[in-house]
Amino acid sequence: MSAPAAEINARLTRCFAVVFPDLSPDRIPLASQPDVPGWDSVAAITLLTVVEEEFGIKIDLELLPDLDSFAALSEHLSRQ
Amino acid sequence: MTLPGMTLPGMTLAEALQATRVCDADATPYQAALACGFTPLHLETYFHAYLQALDSRRKVQVRTGLFGDLIGNVERLDDGLHAAAIVIEWSDLDPRLGFRQLAGWKPSQLSRIAADLEARLRQLEAAIRGAAAKFPVTVALPSLPLPPAFHTINAKTHRTSLDMRAAIANFTVRVADAGVRVVNVEGLAADRYDLKSDLLTGFPYTQAHARGLGRLLASALASPAPKKGLITDLDDTLWSGIVGEIGPAALSWDLDRRTQIHGLYQQMLDSLSEQGVLIAAASKNDPAAVDQAFRERTDLLIDPERVYPREIGWGPKSESVARILQVWNIATDAVVFIDDSPLEVAEVQRVFPQMQCAVFPKSDPAAALSLFYRLRDWFGKDQIEADDAIRASSIRRAGELQQATTAGAAGQEEFLRGLEAEITFSVNPPASETRILELVNKTNQFNLNGVRYDDATWRRMQSQEGAITLGVSYRDKFGPLGTIAVLHGRASGGRIHVETWVMSCRAFSRRIEHQTLRFLAEQWGVTRFDFAFAVTAKNGPLQALLAELSGAAPTGGTITLSAAEFRKRCPELAHRVLIKEAEAVAR
Repeated sequence: MSAPAAEINARLTRCFAVVFPDLSPDRIPLASQPDVPGWDSVAAITLLTVVEEEFGIKIDLELLPDLDSFAALSEHLSRQ
Repeated sequence: MTLPGMTLPGMTLAEALQATRVCDADATPYQAALACGFTPLHLETYFHAYLQALDSRRKVQVRTGLFGDLIGNVERLDDGLHAAAIVIEWSDLDPRLGFRQLAGWKPSQLSRIAADLEARLRQLEAAIRGAAAKFPVTVALPSLPLPPAFHTINAKTHRTSLDMRAAIANFTVRVADAGVRVVNVEGLAADRYDLKSDLLTGFPYTQAHARGLGRLLASALASPAPKKGLITDLDDTLWSGIVGEIGPAALSWDLDRRTQIHGLYQQMLDSLSEQGVLIAAASKNDPAAVDQAFRERTDLLIDPERVYPREIGWGPKSESVARILQVWNIATDAVVFIDDSPLEVAEVQRVFPQMQCAVFPKSDPAAALSLFYRLRDWFGKDQIEADDAIRASSIRRAGELQQATTAGAAGQEEFLRGLEAEITFSVNPPASETRILELVNKTNQFNLNGVRYDDATWRRMQSQEGAITLGVSYRDKFGPLGTIAVLHGRASGGRIHVETWVMSCRAFSRRIEHQTLRFLAEQWGVTRFDFAFAVTAKNGPLQALLAELSGAAPTGGTITLSAAEFRKRCPELAHRVLIKEAEAVAR
C-alpha cells in the first residue's frame, strides 16, 4: 500500500470510529453498510460530513448510495 | 465579533459527536426534545453536543419527532422531559413556503397563505403553551429566507410577506409572555440554506447554520448560572485618562474626545448594577484623586454609590481583588475582572485561575463591542427580581454591620437584639418565583450538598407528597436583604428529610438558619431533622453549623438531629417571624 493510501485509510478509520463508536478498530477496514448496525441513512450522511471535514473536501450527496463501505470511501478519496 | 450565545466554543461535527458521549460517571439522565418539521440530522447532533458540554453532570438524551409534523411533534412532548427546543421554519407554517412540495406560488394564492399562516401559528402557540407549562421551552423562529413566491422584485418586500412577519412577531411576543425563551438568531451565519441537502435528505441547513443554531438552542435552555460581580480598573478603563496625572476634570468618555467606548462601558456597568451585579473598582492610583473624581464628576454614567468597595492603592492588583472578594464574600468563579493592562489581567488571572479575566480593549471599538456582548452572556438572566436591585446596598450594609459588631462596646447578643430583625417565611412559594431556584443553583458556601436542579426537576419535587419549600426573606433596621434562603424537604411522621438548604452569604451571622429550623419544628411538629448532607469544596459555613448543632464535625451522608438536641444548642433568637401564605401549609 502506498504511503498516501495508508494515510487516507488511517484518517478514514478515525472518521468511522467517531460515527460508529461501537465498531471495533479491526472491523473498520472491512465495514460496509449492510454489516454495520446503525449505518442507516442518517449515519451515512453524518459519516460523509465527518469525512468532508477531515479531508477538507466536498462530496456530492448524490454519490451517497455508492459510498456504502470503507473500501468505497477509501477509493473515492484516493481519486481526489 | 462575539454575538449573543456565541461564547461556547465552535465544534466540528466529529467533535460534536464525541462531545455527545462525554459525561461524568455518575451523571443523571437528562431528557431533551428537539421538535422540528424537517430531518433534524446535524442540528440534533450539535444541540445534543452543546447541551452535554454545558453540564457534564447530566447524561443528555435527545428525542426528535416525525418529519413534516412540527405541530404534532410539539403536541406529543411528554411530561418526562427536562427541556424542549422547538425550531420553526416557514415550510412548517405553510408547505408552499418551502421547496419540497409543489403547491404553487401563484399571486392569487398569496392572501390565502397569509391567512393560513395565522391559523397555524395559533395552533402552534397552543401546543407550545402546553409544553411550556411543564418544562423549559426554547423556540427558534424561521431563520431561512422566504422562497421567491412573491411577485415583486427581490429588492422590495411584498405586503403579504410583511403581514406574515408581523404575524410571527405577534406570535413571538405571546409565547415569550408565556415564559418561552425565544432564541436570538441575529448573529448566525449568513449562508444558512442548503437547497440540495433539503431536496435530497430533508435537512435544510448548512453545517455552519446547524452548528450556530444548535449552540443557541442549548445556551438558551441550559445557560450556566450568571456571574455575580465585576471588578473593574479605573484609568483607561472606566474612563479615559490617568486621573492622578490629568485630574478629574480632564477625564473623558464622550464622542468629542473619541473616548465614547468608555462611556458605553460605564453605561453597561450601570445596567449590570441595576440588574443586581456587584460592581467594585481595583485601581493602582492615588485614593484622594479617585475620591475626587467620583465626587466631582457628576456626569459619570454609573452611580458612584454602586461601585463598592473601591480598592485604591499601589499594591498588586490581586491583593486588591482579594480584599474585594472578602467584602463581597462570593466565590472567585462568580467574578469577572476587567483591566486595560494585559499585565494586570495576567497577574490577577494567575492568582485567581477560576476568575473570568478580560482585557479592556480601549483602542479597538470592535473588540470592545465583543466584550460588551460577552458581559451579557456572563451576567445574563431571564428576569430581574426586586431582590436584585437591593443586593449591592445590602452588601454595603453587611460591611457596616460587621464594623458595628466589632467596634461596639455591647456584646454580640445585645447587638443582634437591637437589629429589629424580621424574618418572613414564604411557605411553598409558587414556581413562578424564579428567585427561589436561582438561589438554590448559585449558592455555594451555605449549601447543604451542592446539588443543582433544572426547572422541570424542581417543579416535580414541589409536587411530591409531604413536600415543604420555604423561601426566607429578611430585613432589619439597616434595610431589607430580600429573599436570602431556601429550604426544601419532605415531612413525614414527625420527621423532615431536608434535601436542599441554601442561604446567601449576605445573610450570615444573623441566626436566620437557627430560626428556620425552629420554624420547621414548631409549624410541622418536627421531632427529628434528617439532612441530606454532602461535603463540597465550598460549603464550610454549612459544615460549621451542623458541627455546632450536632456537636461533631459532619462527614458525608445523612446527618440526623433531634429537635430536642437542636433546642438545647440553639442560641437566643430575637427575630420577629412572619408567615406568608400560611394557609398553604401542608401538615
